[in-house]
Amino acid sequence: MNLAVVLVIAAVVALSVILRLAVTQSLQLKGSSGLDVSIRPIDIEAFRNLINPAEDEYLRRRLPPAQFRTVRRERLRAMAAYVQVANHNAAVLIRVGEAALAGRDGRVAEAAQLMVADALLLRRNATVAVARIYLALAWPGSEFAAVRVVERYEQLSGTAMLLGRLQNPGAAVRLSASR
Amino acid sequence: MAKPLMLPAHSLLWHYFWLAPHILQVALAFLMWRRGLHSLFGVFFAYLIFEAFEEFTLYGLDIAPAVSGETFWRAFCVGLIVEGFIKIGVIGELFYHLLRPWPAIAKVGSRLVTGTGAVLVLLASLAAALVVPDNNHWLISGSHILQQTFYIVDCGLLALLFSFTAYFKLAWNYRILGIAVGLAILACEHLGTWAVMANGGLLGQRHFLDLLNMATYHVCVLIWFYYLLVPQKTPTTSAVSLPENNLAIWNRELERLLQQ
Repeated sequence: MNLAVVLVIAAVVALSVILRLAVTQSLQLKGSSGLDVSIRPIDIEAFRNLINPAEDEYLRRRLPPAQFRTVRRERLRAMAAYVQVANHNAAVLIRVGEAALAGRDGRVAEAAQLMVADALLLRRNATVAVARIYLALAWPGSEFAAVRVVERYEQLSGTAMLLGRLQNPGAAVRLSASR
Repeated sequence: MAKPLMLPAHSLLWHYFWLAPHILQVALAFLMWRRGLHSLFGVFFAYLIFEAFEEFTLYGLDIAPAVSGETFWRAFCVGLIVEGFIKIGVIGELFYHLLRPWPAIAKVGSRLVTGTGAVLVLLASLAAALVVPDNNHWLISGSHILQQTFYIVDCGLLALLFSFTAYFKLAWNYRILGIAVGLAILACEHLGTWAVMANGGLLGQRHFLDLLNMATYHVCVLIWFYYLLVPQKTPTTSAVSLPENNLAIWNRELERLLQQ
């Protein structure tokens, strides 16, 4: 009978989670929940510095092992924070892209399709990267690189810009003017 | 529907709940075929037809006085095995529809489904091994354990389906969402009741559990009716532009990238 209690509790938990997610999705389908489009900026240069293996190698040579491990852990935590922001931005862009897919303009839909595909790849890579960063926290001496996340983020920037220009040509003009 | 080896007289409500959802299922299958939805959701269409056929057969066996309890339970076991595999096929079909437009994550998705499926089968087998049979007749206790096993796998896969789409922020098609919600309610409620039955719980109130199962099934069929046949309202916001403040951020980032 203990097994039955465990399974009943598991079923109730699963149903609650599923219904909560289904209601959220249903509201999104009806368009009644406003899109929370808040992209958080990322300092790509600082991100690149953090993931640069040469920097790590330099610190490894210069610092005593114990101090190196402390510094490396700090750098890994910062890296995780950057990757999580990139992951968040990708999630926002997936929703923006999916909403744009419903538009009638073929060029906008094509750009949106491209952006969503890039954002999904970024989200996938970022998830793996975060898991690997936390693993690396346990062994700070191990090699780790989040290069693919940065590359994917750069690509996503490009496709988001393309979609932004198509949807909002005025902003693109301002961009040109500011350059 | 748990039929004891001796046939009891069933209430009108019992007959209604046993037959009505499956009559509705046949109607739903017919309307799906009329609207061409059967080619889009082929496995679900097959599930509707098979489930209705299975339940009408079991109903006939239940009320026919010449049919022994053992024959009924044999048919019940065969039906639930076939139905179990078709339901897993329906979940696979839902994953296929959700992932098809996005090859970028289709591979990850399919690996995750395979891996999770394997783990769930192991867990369900372990749970089955831990069950103390609730009935002396192996066919009855065996069929209860089989139900519990299939619903553990169904529940787990459906939870994965919803979690995966929520994590990747994938947009659900209105109809796919309806099929998934109906299946999820069915799987979770049935897992609870069959787990109680398989483990010998509520021995004197089994008919309430049966009624609960049948009533839930009725609700699920109505959910499928609504989502598959009632036209979807056009979203109020068909397309959302990137807000200008975000564009400015992206512009800054892009400029920074260009300057490197």
